[in-house]
Amino acid sequence: MTTTDLPPPGELPEIAVDPAAFRHLADAQVNVELDTGDMVLNIGPQHPATHGTLRLVVRLDGERVVSADPIIGYMHRGYEKLTEFRTYPQITTLINRIDWLSSFANEVPFIDAAEHLMAIEAPPRAQYLRTILTELSRIATFVLFLGEMGLQVGAITPAFYGFRDREYVLNLIEAVTGGRFHPNFNRIGGIKDDLPWGWISECRGVMNKVLASCDEFDDLVVGNPIFQKRTRSIGIIPQELGAAYGVSGSNLRASGVDWDLRRDGPKYLVYDELDWQVWTHPDGDSFARYWVRLQETRESARMVLQMLDQMPSGPLMAKVPRIIKVPAGEVFVNTENPLGEMGYYVISKGATGPFRTKIRSASFSNVSILPWLLRGVYVPDIVTILASLYFILGDIDR
Amino acid sequence: MKREIKGMLTGLGVTFRTMMKPAVTVQYPHEREDPAPRARGVIALKEENCTVCMLCARSCPDWCIYIEGHKEQRPPRREGGRPRSVSLLDRFDIDYALCMYCGICVEVCPFDALFWSPEFEYSETRIADLLHDKFKLGEWMASVPEPEPLEMGAEVKGKK
Repeated sequence: MTTTDLPPPGELPEIAVDPAAFRHLADAQVNVELDTGDMVLNIGPQHPATHGTLRLVVRLDGERVVSADPIIGYMHRGYEKLTEFRTYPQITTLINRIDWLSSFANEVPFIDAAEHLMAIEAPPRAQYLRTILTELSRIATFVLFLGEMGLQVGAITPAFYGFRDREYVLNLIEAVTGGRFHPNFNRIGGIKDDLPWGWISECRGVMNKVLASCDEFDDLVVGNPIFQKRTRSIGIIPQELGAAYGVSGSNLRASGVDWDLRRDGPKYLVYDELDWQVWTHPDGDSFARYWVRLQETRESARMVLQMLDQMPSGPLMAKVPRIIKVPAGEVFVNTENPLGEMGYYVISKGATGPFRTKIRSASFSNVSILPWLLRGVYVPDIVTILASLYFILGDIDR
Repeated sequence: MKREIKGMLTGLGVTFRTMMKPAVTVQYPHEREDPAPRARGVIALKEENCTVCMLCARSCPDWCIYIEGHKEQRPPRREGGRPRSVSLLDRFDIDYALCMYCGICVEVCPFDALFWSPEFEYSETRIADLLHDKFKLGEWMASVPEPEPLEMGAEVKGKK
């Protein structure tokens, strides 16, 4: 993607932040009278600030970015192709590895797609367990972000706090599914196993811990003046532009777009039975993205607490044949993953595996706005903007 | 300015309160936390249950199970009956360098010959040593936990 065919930064919609904040976007050429020429700075693919093998080729004019090109594909593992040679139960173990921070949430849309084609529905208890585990993986993802974002602006303490809370949640996921990172717990027509004894009360305790540590992050990071200076009015994604680039999830909600597939999409899981709200922030800067994720972590913890209270009893598996053959057809199922909208377009020709799968992963679209977003910012802000967009390289390259 | 100092002090208050709490980290080689009983650590093989049906090897997503077997004739159970043919396992290897720990093999096994054990300390310095043969897989059987009770509201299946 080149930066030439993007709309000029001057034509921006009105948003809530101070228009002066757009000065850094307005002209990237600072040293016009002192023409020093551009410097090309290569960041990555092995760079700690890029969270993986993302390579950024940045042209600098002094300390300012003239253009930035993300170069992706260093971690391409070919999952779309691999799915064509696996059976449906085998694929869930592969797609765990797309977005490895929230692997359970990856399974849900794919299993949903297969269930749509087979016209079966998981029993209510299985739906509740799926929703609980999806929200737990959302908490595990966001809590890491809440800590890591502090690390990117130079504070190392929140990172430890984030990992501490993530560990609590991962222990919960491990106690149910057996896997910390790659649960592989969804089955077509239900879920593999029930909760172990004592899990519900343990989960309540951890959710209260998460809620308490969200307050800690509020005090420690959000209220911190250095953090605010480094993130406020930096990396602003305007509403329309974000939507046009396909930015989704918390990144888009931080730009003030009130859109959440859990509420607005077609019904999936049990979100319509819960009392919860979608958080938005009008600013669209790095700070807003942090704030929205902080609120969503709280909301997810509250949702889990609700679900633990109203979980129905009953079977975990619908009636499915022993050898799963999905009838011919096509379906696209997209869900709200922690990183954004994730979708699977599955074409089946009646075999034990799909004929073709197209994976729409959230991070790929989220980083596609980088050339526009990084234009005109200072070099240290590249790191905070990258961190606040919060992508997973496995999710970009698949 | 006042607000900024206040923000800084509340943050320091959080770190101070955390400092007073006991540490959550564990000094691993000296003390260890036991993983959950369901944790997928290593696959154990109960050799006498295996009938060399190859279901696990076929359903493995990355084909890391290697099985060889042969058939033997055994004397009939009753007088005058036909001789029985029994499948015997010659080789059962799992290459843990390839294994993705998905648990599909344990799930598809119709004769309960494979089990998950939460044991995880089997790292090796040579990658070839990660290929566990049937004797080594059989040794893991000692660490397989009993099935744990389920949470309220769970439907108890009639398990064999």
